[in-house]
Amino acid sequence: MKTFFNKLLHIPLLVVILFNVVSYGQQPLVTVSGQVKSQEDAMPLPGSSILLKGGSTGVVADFDGNYEIEVPADGTLIFSYIGFQKQEVAINGQTQINVELREDTQALEEAVVIGYTTQDRKSITGAISTISSEDLENVHAGATISSGLAGKLPGVSFRMADGRPGASASIQIRNMGTPLYVIDGIQQDEGQFNNLSPNDISSISVLKDASAAIYGVRAANGVVVVTTKRGRKGSRNTVNINSYIGWQNWSRFPNTVNDSYKWMLGKAEAEVNQFGTTAITPEELEKYRVGEEMGYQSFNWRDFIIKKDAPLTNINVSATGGSEKINYYLSATQLKQESVLGPEFTFERSNIQSNVDADISDRLKIGVQINGRIETRDNPGIPGADDYWLPRFAILRNRPFERPYANDNPEYLNDIGHNETNWALHNKKIGGYATDIWRVMQTNFSGEYVLPFIDGLKVKGMYSYYIADRVLNGHEYTYEAYTYDEENDAYNVTGGSTNPWRERRTQKIMKNVYQGQVQYNGQFGDHSIEGLFVVERQDQRDQEQWVHSVPETNSLPLIYFSNTDAYDDRDDQEARIGYIGRLSYNYKDIYYLEGSARRDASWKFAPDKRVGVFPSVSAGWRLTNEEFMKRILGDSSVLYDLKLRASYGILGDDNIGIGPYDYLPGYNYNQGVAILDGNPIIASRDKGQIIDNISWFKSKITDIGVDFYLFDGKLSGSYDYFYRERTGLRGRKYDILIPNELGYGLPEENVNSDAQSGFEGALAYSGKIGNVTMNVSANASYSRGKFISSYKPIFNNSYDEYRNSLEGRYNNIFWGYTSIGQFQSQEEINSYPVDIDGRGNSTLLPGDLIYKDLNQDGKIDGYDEAPIGYGTPFGYVARQPLINYGLSLSLAYKGFDFTADFSGGSGYSFNQEWETRNPYQNEGALNEIFLDRWHREDPFDVNSPWVAGKYPPLRFNNGGHSSYNKNSTFWLHNVKYLRARTIEIGYSLPKGLTEKLRIQKARFYVNGYNLFSIDNLSKFGIDPEINDTNGLQYPQNKFVNVGINLSL
Amino acid sequence: MKKYIYILAIGTLCAWSCTKDSEFLDREPTQLLPQDQVFASESLALSVLADLYNRYYDFGTVEDWSTLSNFNVAFWSENGRAGAFENNEYGYGDWGTWDYAYIREINLFLERCAASTELAEPIKTRFLAEARFLRASYYFELVKRMGGVPLILETEEYDFSGDASYLRHPRETEAAIYDFIIAECEAIKEQLPTDANSKSRATKGAVLAMESRAALYAGSIARYGENTPQVSLPGNEVGIPSSRATDYYTIALQSAETIIDGTAGAYSLYTKKPELDDNFASIFYDKANNPEAIFVEDYQLQSGKVHGFSIANQPRFGAEEEEGGRINPSLNLVQSFETLDGDYAPLPNEDGVGNPIYYDNIGDIFEGRDARLAGTVILPGSSFKGKPVDIWAGYQLADGSIVSGDARGQQKTLPGASSATQVVGFDGPINGLEFTAQTGFYIRKYMDPKAGSGQRGVQSDVWFIRYRYAEVLLNAAEAAFELGQPDLAASYMNQVRARAGITSELMGSDISFDRIVHERYVELAFEGHFFYDMKRWRLAHLILNGVPIDETGITENIGVATKVHTQPYGFWPYKIYDPGNANDGKYIYKIVRPIKVTGADRFQFGNYYSAIGQDIINNNPKIVKNPNQ
Repeated sequence: MKTFFNKLLHIPLLVVILFNVVSYGQQPLVTVSGQVKSQEDAMPLPGSSILLKGGSTGVVADFDGNYEIEVPADGTLIFSYIGFQKQEVAINGQTQINVELREDTQALEEAVVIGYTTQDRKSITGAISTISSEDLENVHAGATISSGLAGKLPGVSFRMADGRPGASASIQIRNMGTPLYVIDGIQQDEGQFNNLSPNDISSISVLKDASAAIYGVRAANGVVVVTTKRGRKGSRNTVNINSYIGWQNWSRFPNTVNDSYKWMLGKAEAEVNQFGTTAITPEELEKYRVGEEMGYQSFNWRDFIIKKDAPLTNINVSATGGSEKINYYLSATQLKQESVLGPEFTFERSNIQSNVDADISDRLKIGVQINGRIETRDNPGIPGADDYWLPRFAILRNRPFERPYANDNPEYLNDIGHNETNWALHNKKIGGYATDIWRVMQTNFSGEYVLPFIDGLKVKGMYSYYIADRVLNGHEYTYEAYTYDEENDAYNVTGGSTNPWRERRTQKIMKNVYQGQVQYNGQFGDHSIEGLFVVERQDQRDQEQWVHSVPETNSLPLIYFSNTDAYDDRDDQEARIGYIGRLSYNYKDIYYLEGSARRDASWKFAPDKRVGVFPSVSAGWRLTNEEFMKRILGDSSVLYDLKLRASYGILGDDNIGIGPYDYLPGYNYNQGVAILDGNPIIASRDKGQIIDNISWFKSKITDIGVDFYLFDGKLSGSYDYFYRERTGLRGRKYDILIPNELGYGLPEENVNSDAQSGFEGALAYSGKIGNVTMNVSANASYSRGKFISSYKPIFNNSYDEYRNSLEGRYNNIFWGYTSIGQFQSQEEINSYPVDIDGRGNSTLLPGDLIYKDLNQDGKIDGYDEAPIGYGTPFGYVARQPLINYGLSLSLAYKGFDFTADFSGGSGYSFNQEWETRNPYQNEGALNEIFLDRWHREDPFDVNSPWVAGKYPPLRFNNGGHSSYNKNSTFWLHNVKYLRARTIEIGYSLPKGLTEKLRIQKARFYVNGYNLFSIDNLSKFGIDPEINDTNGLQYPQNKFVNVGINLSL
Repeated sequence: MKKYIYILAIGTLCAWSCTKDSEFLDREPTQLLPQDQVFASESLALSVLADLYNRYYDFGTVEDWSTLSNFNVAFWSENGRAGAFENNEYGYGDWGTWDYAYIREINLFLERCAASTELAEPIKTRFLAEARFLRASYYFELVKRMGGVPLILETEEYDFSGDASYLRHPRETEAAIYDFIIAECEAIKEQLPTDANSKSRATKGAVLAMESRAALYAGSIARYGENTPQVSLPGNEVGIPSSRATDYYTIALQSAETIIDGTAGAYSLYTKKPELDDNFASIFYDKANNPEAIFVEDYQLQSGKVHGFSIANQPRFGAEEEEGGRINPSLNLVQSFETLDGDYAPLPNEDGVGNPIYYDNIGDIFEGRDARLAGTVILPGSSFKGKPVDIWAGYQLADGSIVSGDARGQQKTLPGASSATQVVGFDGPINGLEFTAQTGFYIRKYMDPKAGSGQRGVQSDVWFIRYRYAEVLLNAAEAAFELGQPDLAASYMNQVRARAGITSELMGSDISFDRIVHERYVELAFEGHFFYDMKRWRLAHLILNGVPIDETGITENIGVATKVHTQPYGFWPYKIYDPGNANDGKYIYKIVRPIKVTGADRFQFGNYYSAIGQDIINNNPKIVKNPNQ
C-alpha cells in the first residue's frame, strides 16, 4: 500500500540519485558590485535580478539599481529585468560590473506561463497565445473578464450573446468547446475566471494544442491559464488607483410600431389578407388616427421601459512592493453595473486579492494567496425563471394602445389583460425582489524548497482551499391590477395575481487541491534540461438546497415551515488524481524538444476504467540561431528570428455525458412522489443497464506553427495549423439489432469520432515614427468541426442517409428551404405550377415567398429542404463564429495615447423567428421591420392594386402560413460583422508635474466600447452576436467611459 | 536543524491529508439504493411500486389537459395549439405507445419481489398482485392503441452472442391480449384488498372495473369490427372474430355486476350534495368518503405531487395567475345534454322563424338541462370560486351592428353615451384571443374550487379518476343491451340519469345503440373515454369524416351516434344596447365557429391503430405493420 506521501518522497530521491553527478567544484569567491540601468534612457532599474549562471545564487538590485553579489571569480552573471533583454557578463575577476539592459521589444525573453511553470517565449514549442495586464486594462466591456477578450487572442473565438449586468461572453479555444481554466495553478471553472477583477490579472496564457495535455483529463478543449499580479522583491511601495465610470446603452433592439393607428391599420390589413374581411371599420381607425379618446391613444412602451445611460462604476486600489525578503500585492476592487432597465436591476462585485511571498531562508520560500469576492445580482422579482425576460418581452408584447396605469394614475396598475408584461409591475415595490449572492473565498498556501547537494533541483508544495457560498432569495409578490370605471370614477380590481412565490436557494461548494512538485533545471555546456514532476489531487463537494413557500404576506421576509411546499436537497462530489511528468531539452537555443505525460484518474468511471494516460511531444527549431543561417543573414536584421514548431498530444475529457455513478447497479431513489392511500411515497426506479464500459474520450491534437520576427524584431508574427481528432465519443454498436421489446438498449460505448481543424495567424508591428510610438496588430482564425464516423450507421433508405447522416460532414448544418423570390401578382400565383402552401396556393397573396421545388414533385414539403447555413443555437447555447478576427492600433505621442481595437466574426447563422418573423406575434406589438411589406393600396378593398414591399403581406399572429412556417433563405442570415471595440484617448501628466505633485503617474482617459458595428443584421434591429431567434435577447451595451489611473 | 523541522512539518501535513488513490476516488452516491436492500424492506419495495404506479398510462389526465379534451369536444384556447384546428388529418403515429422498458421493470419487480425472502408473505402477495394489475393495465393501454402486441411476461437478457433472434417475439392477436388482461384480473382479484376506501392502489374493485371495461372493448371490437373489414390483419393482430362478442359481453356484465352487487366493496353513485350540478362536479374533487371513485391517480398539496389543471383551465378572469381558460368545451358537446324531461334539443337561441330569443339573464338559456351540463361545463352566468364568470361577446346595437373589444374587459364609449363602458367580458369571448372562452364556455370537471389551486406555487390536488361506479353501470348497461337484455340495460342507465336530474325513466324499448353512445358521451366527457369509444364502435371515421360542419349541422341530429364531429363550435352571448327599447340589456345567443377553426378533422382507417415505428420493426422483423398505413 503506497500512500501519496510515499510516492512524493520517492521521486525526489530518484532525481537526487540521477543528477548527483553534476555538482560543481569549489571556486574562490569574489564580491562583485555595480549598477543596472536601462540603455535607452539611462534610468536605473530597481529590482532587476542578478543571477549566477548555472547556480542558485542571486540578488536583486536596490531602488537605485545597485547590487552586490558574492560569486566565484570565473562565473558568469545574468542580468535581467522584466521587459528587457537578458544580458550575460563573464566576471573574469572583475569586481565592478555596470550593465545597461536593452529594452526587449521582441519580447523573446518574456516569461510565458505554460502548464505548471513558465518558459521564455523563444523556447516555447506549443501553440500558446498570451495577453498581458496592459492589454486588458483599457477594455471596459462590462463586468467580466471574458467580455473583454474580443479579438484579443488568435485562435480564441468570441461571442457575447447576452449583455445584461454581470454577463459573460462565450469564449472557446479553436471552437473546441468550453475550455479548462487554471487560475494561479488551480483548476477552476468559467465563473471563477469571469469574476476575477481584471486589475488583478498579470497575464492570461491560452494553451491551444498539445501543450494543454499536461492538464490531462479536462484539457481536451484547451486551457486558459491565468496568473495574478505579485509584488517585486526590492521594489518601492506603490499604491495604484484605477477608477472609471461608464454609461451604457443598448447596442440594438427591435423597434416596434408605437402608433396605435398604424398598428390597427396593419391588423385590418392582416385580417383582410387572411379572411377577406375585417371587423375593424374605417371610422374606428379614424379614432385611432386622432388618438384622443380613451383607449385610442398611443403609448411608447420602449421609452417607458428602457432608460438611457445606465451607469457602471469601478474602482480598484492596489498596493504593491517588496523588501529583499518579502514581496506583496494587495488589491481591492468594487464594481457596480446597472441595467438599462433602471437602477433596480444591478450587478455588484467586490474583489480582494492578497498575494504575499516570503523568503524564509536562502532555500525556502513560502507564499500565501488569498482571494475573495462577493457577487450580488439584485433585481425585482418577476414571474418566470429569468427576471430580465419579461421586461424585454414587454416591448414586443404590449400594444401601443395599452397603458401601464389605470386612467394614467400611477397609483393603480392597469389591467392590460397580460399584466405580467406590464412594466409598471416590474419593480421592487409591487413585483417583489430577487437577490442572488455568491460569497467566495480561496486561499493557496505554497512552499518552495531548493534542495541542497544538487543545483537546480527544487521541490514545491501547494495546498488550496476554496469555498463558495450562494444564497438566493426571491419573492414575487401578490398584486392587484385595476380597470378604471369612468362613469363612477372608480378603480376596480379586475386582474392581478394572488400567487406569492417565495424561494430560497443555498449552495456551498468546497474544493481542496493538493499539489506536490519536483523541478529540475540543468545546464550542461550547450545542453539544457528541465524536468518537472507533479502530483495533484483535487476534490470537490457541492451541496445545494432549495425551498419554496407560499407566504401569507408580501411584507415579511422569513420562510415558515407551514407555508413550505417544496424542498430539494443535493450533495455531489468529484475527485480526480493526476501524476504529471515533463522533460524539456534545449540545445544552444536552436533545437527544442519537450515531452510530457499525465496519468489521470477520475471518480466518474467504473474503478477499472478510471485511469487514462495523456502524453504529448513537441519540438522547435530556431533557424536563425543556426550558424549557417547566421552566415547567410550576416548583418541583416530583416529576418531577426525564425522558429518552426510542431506538437502532438493526446488530451482527455471525462465530460462524456454520463453521470458519476452510472457504473453502479441499483435503484435510483427520489424519482418523484406517488400518493398511495393518502400517503406520499417517494418513488424509486431501477437504474437499468449500468454503464461500466465507458471511459474518457480521447482528443488527439496536432499543431504545426511558425513564429517569426522581422526587421529587428519590429514586425512579429506567428501562424498555426491544427487538427484535432476525437475518438471514443459515445455511441452504440449496431451490429446486432436488439428488439425494443427487450426493454433496454445496448449500452453505449466509446465508438464515435469527430474532428476540428483550422488555422490562425497573428501579425504585429511596433515601432516609432518621429515621436509617435506605434503598435499595430491583427489576428484571424478559422476553426470548424466535422463529424467523422459513427459505428456502422444504419439508414432506412437513401433519403434518410442524405438527410440524417452525419458521417464525414461538417457539424451544425442548417437545413431549410431556398426562397427564390416573392410572388408579384395574383396571376402569377394562379398559374404557378408548384403547390407552395399545401392547399393549392389558395392562401397565397402577392409578396408571399416562393420556394424552390428541389425534388420537382410539384409540391413543397420536407423533401425540398437543403443545407442553407450554419447551425443556429443549440438550445440556449450560442454557436461560436467559425471565423474570428481582431485588429488593434495604439499610438503614443508625448503624454497622449490612443487605442483603437476592432474585432469581428462570421461563419454562423441567425434565423429570424417569432417576433422577428411573425407580424403580431402573440397578438402583441408590431415589429417595425414589417412596415415595409406588400400591401393593398386600400386595405379595405380586396380589389385594389398591390404595393410591393420587402416582407410578405401581413397576417395577424399566424405563424402557420407558408411564408412564415418554414425556415428558408429569406429568414436565415449568415452573419458577418466587424465591431469597434475599444476606442480610447488618454493623457498622462508630464513628469515634471507629477514630481511636483509627488506622485509617480497620473493618467486620464475617455473610452468607448462597442460604439459601432458594421454587419448584415442592422436592418433587423438585431445585435450581430445575439443568440435568441426572437431578437429579444438582452444585447451588448455601448459604453462611454471616463477614467483615471494614479500611481502614488 | 531548522530545515529538517520544515521537512518534517510538511511531510506530516502531507501524510495526514492523504489516503490511497482508490479511496480518494471512491465517492459515495447519495440517491442510490442497492437491490438487495430494496427487497428486504417493505417501505423500499413500496417505493419501487410507487414509481410503477406513477408511470401508469392514461389517455389524457389532469396533467395532460389537451389530450383529455381532444377531438373537438373542446376548443383549445392557447395560441400554440391553434395548429390542431387548422389541419385536417392525424398522423399515423399519433397516440402510439411502446414502453417495454416499463413492462421490463414491472417484470423485474415481480421476479425480485417473488425471490425476496425477507418480505412478509401477505405483503408479498399484495405487491405481486398490484404489479400484475399495473402490467395488465399497460397491456390494456397497448392493445387499445396498437392492437395485439408481443406479450412479454418475463425479463430477458441479451447474451452478446451476436444473435438476437431468440429475443424476437411476434405480435399476439388482439383477442389474445384482451384474454390475457381478463385472465390476469381473474387471477389477482382475490389477492387484493376488498376495500372501497383504498382508491389509489389496486383493489378488487379496480381489478373488476378494468376487467369489465376490457371485456366490453373486446366485445364491441368483435361486434362492430364487422363494419370496417379494412381495419384488420390476416393474423388477427388487429381485429377480433365476431363470434367472440357474446363471450366478452358476458364477462363485461358479470364483472360489472360483481361491483354493483357490493361484493367488491361498498361502491355507489355519489349523491352527497343537494344541488345536482354541484354534486356531479364534486365527484371529481371530493376525496372524503367518495363512494363512486374506484381507482384514481391521487395528488396531495405540499407533497411534491400536485398538478396545474386549474392553473391552465380555470376561468381567466379572477384567476390567481395570469393564466387559465385553455379548455373551451364546444357547443357540440354542450347541447348534447338533454333537457330534464329527457329530450334532445338544441339550445333555444332563435324562434322557429329565425328571430333571436331575448333572455333577461345571461344564464337563462341553460335552464332545465341535464345537471351534468352545469357540472361539466362552466356556463355564462355561473360562478367559480365565488366569483361570477364574465363571458359575453359584446353589445349588439339596434341596427344589428356589434361593438366589442380586442382586449378582455375593454371599454368603449357606446353611441349616445358620455363615458366609456365595458363592451366585452373579461373572459371574452374575443375571437382568436387565447385564454378567453372562445366557444363561450370553460371546463368545470376537475376544476379545483379551493382558493390557491390556480397558484403556480401551490397548484391543485384534485385526483384523476380512472374507474368510477357510474362507468361500471354504463358498462353493465351496454353489455346487457348487447346481450339482448334491454330492460336490465335501462335499469342501470336510469340510475345514472336519475342522479343527473332527468325525470323521465327509460324503458327497455328506449335502449338503442345511439342511446348507449350518447350516455357515455355526456356522462364520461373529458375522462379519456371518447377516443377509445369512437374506435371500438368503429365510429371514428364516420364522425370525423373531414367534412366541415355548418350551423345546422350543429343543431341537428343530436343524440345520433354518427353525428359529424369535425369542428368545435361556440355559442356567444351578446348584450342588447338599445336604450328605450324593451329588449335593452337583454341577452341573445349566436352560434359561431371560432376564427382559428379552419380545418375539419379526418380520421382515416389507418388511424384506428397507431403506427408501429420503423425502428421497432427494424429491430424485430417479426412485428407486422398495422393496416391501412
